[in-house]
Amino acid sequence: METNPDFNKYMDQYFHYLGQWESPSKCGLKVVHRKDGKTLIIVTEIYRQNPGTPVTEWCAPLATRIMAEFQCPSDRCIFIEHTPDLGSKLTFYGETFDLVTFQPEGKDLVISKWTRLNPEEVDSLMDE
Amino acid sequence: MKFKLIYPRWEKLEGQTIFNLPPHGPVVMAAEIPEHVEVDFTDENVENLVIDESPDFVGISMMLTTQVKRGWAIADEYRKLGKKVIFGGISTMLHAEETMLHADSIFLGEVEGRLGEVFKDFSRKDLKKIYNFMSKPPEMNLIGPARRDILNKDLYYHKGFRMVDLFHASRGCIYDCYPCAVRYLGGRGFRPRPIDRVVEELSQMDNNRLFIVDNSLALDTQWEKDLFKAMIPLKKKWVSHTIEDKDEVLDLAAQAGAWYVYQAVFDTSDYIKNRIKQYHEYGIAVEGTILLGLDNQTEDDIKRLVDFLLEIELDLAEFTVLAPFPHTKAYSDLLKQGRIFDTDWNHYNAGKVVYQPKHMSPERLTELFQYAWDTFYKDEPQSQKMFNLISRVVTRELADGTHTPRRRDLADLSFGKQVPKLS
Repeated sequence: METNPDFNKYMDQYFHYLGQWESPSKCGLKVVHRKDGKTLIIVTEIYRQNPGTPVTEWCAPLATRIMAEFQCPSDRCIFIEHTPDLGSKLTFYGETFDLVTFQPEGKDLVISKWTRLNPEEVDSLMDE
Repeated sequence: MKFKLIYPRWEKLEGQTIFNLPPHGPVVMAAEIPEHVEVDFTDENVENLVIDESPDFVGISMMLTTQVKRGWAIADEYRKLGKKVIFGGISTMLHAEETMLHADSIFLGEVEGRLGEVFKDFSRKDLKKIYNFMSKPPEMNLIGPARRDILNKDLYYHKGFRMVDLFHASRGCIYDCYPCAVRYLGGRGFRPRPIDRVVEELSQMDNNRLFIVDNSLALDTQWEKDLFKAMIPLKKKWVSHTIEDKDEVLDLAAQAGAWYVYQAVFDTSDYIKNRIKQYHEYGIAVEGTILLGLDNQTEDDIKRLVDFLLEIELDLAEFTVLAPFPHTKAYSDLLKQGRIFDTDWNHYNAGKVVYQPKHMSPERLTELFQYAWDTFYKDEPQSQKMFNLISRVVTRELADGTHTPRRRDLADLSFGKQVPKLS
């Protein structure tokens, strides 16, 4: 596992994956095993440090891989996509958290919807 | 072997001045085609395409999302004739899965050092479905002079005035701008070409006026300064995207022939005001690129922005509405929020509203888009403002002996089509 001074409460490791067109790609990852038996997974888009496919564009295959690697069935997982603030001059282009829900389609997952969460909601999901 | 290379046409924005520039992607690609292959190029924006059985192999190069549907239709016709078709270019990468449905092969990524393999495979009847070089950029010193000899240059004149030629000195970008797909297309790093290779190509170009199409020149100060220093003796006059705001850089840019820059104007701040003022102090004109329909813009904000543009004396302004192109942050945000209602790629021309804006209806945004064009050009039309810019560059060219007079023999033609003769 790589360590990095930039790790924060929403990411404590990097996760490497093959993205679209098999591009080597990388995201931030935090996995929290909650008291209720569910697993909270937070993937963070790391922009310039990700040489390949952004997490939003590869969300379902990425979730499938992470859930398999951490042995977490999709119905026991809470999956959150995190995009950090890049300091853009555009006021709406800030930090975001989206709860991603999936539906199984054969052996794969497909995205059902994204639901915007605020940081407090994410923090409470981490504490449960 | 005869290779038919096609650049599909697209519908231009209604009511706006049409400028057809010589395309860049096809000439960069053509430079990598093996010497024994005869290249026959058609830019459908300036000439008619005749689809027949003469080519051995067909290539379709697409830059814009608004080209893809036409590109696919052309491919379907050739494939009915039994011809193999390969696609490449920016919008092939943006629309790869859909394009594969109309292709024998698609090429993803940058071509340098890679096309020999493609043509060898074609000759062996072993063309691969995908040539995937995404995330595998070539060595920058492999990028040689583009093959502009494939262009019918006379077709890129408007009433005897020659259009700028496109040129690039770097690839990639370090930023993740909201509406931009470069991070997906060109990787997430800045990759400058070696200066001597840039100068070699510039020296070979017979056009004194250029558009340096790099995403931004303002990404590596030392390289930028070295580039401009090396360009000074060439006496070219050029248009580009952003140049760094350091005085020593702007001074060198002006000496190197900076004519005008495209500068994004996203708010009414002093930062923008000072940026425009600084360019003007170095004799560099500014065409503002103004994106309308962002989530932080209300109707009042858009109106205030247009007033601001007039106040800061922009030389030209180009208004567009946000088009959420695939593989951009804008696309993923609007997709997540379920706000994209139109997925007809022909409508992704940055003039039609294809998503639900945050603070107004799509119809109101369309009206404000028109309002912005009308208001900015009310007192001085776009053609006059453009003429002012051309007059400035002609003055500079006359002073340094680089001016080429207007072609009288093409005075009644605009991009190959007949127009009333100028007096």
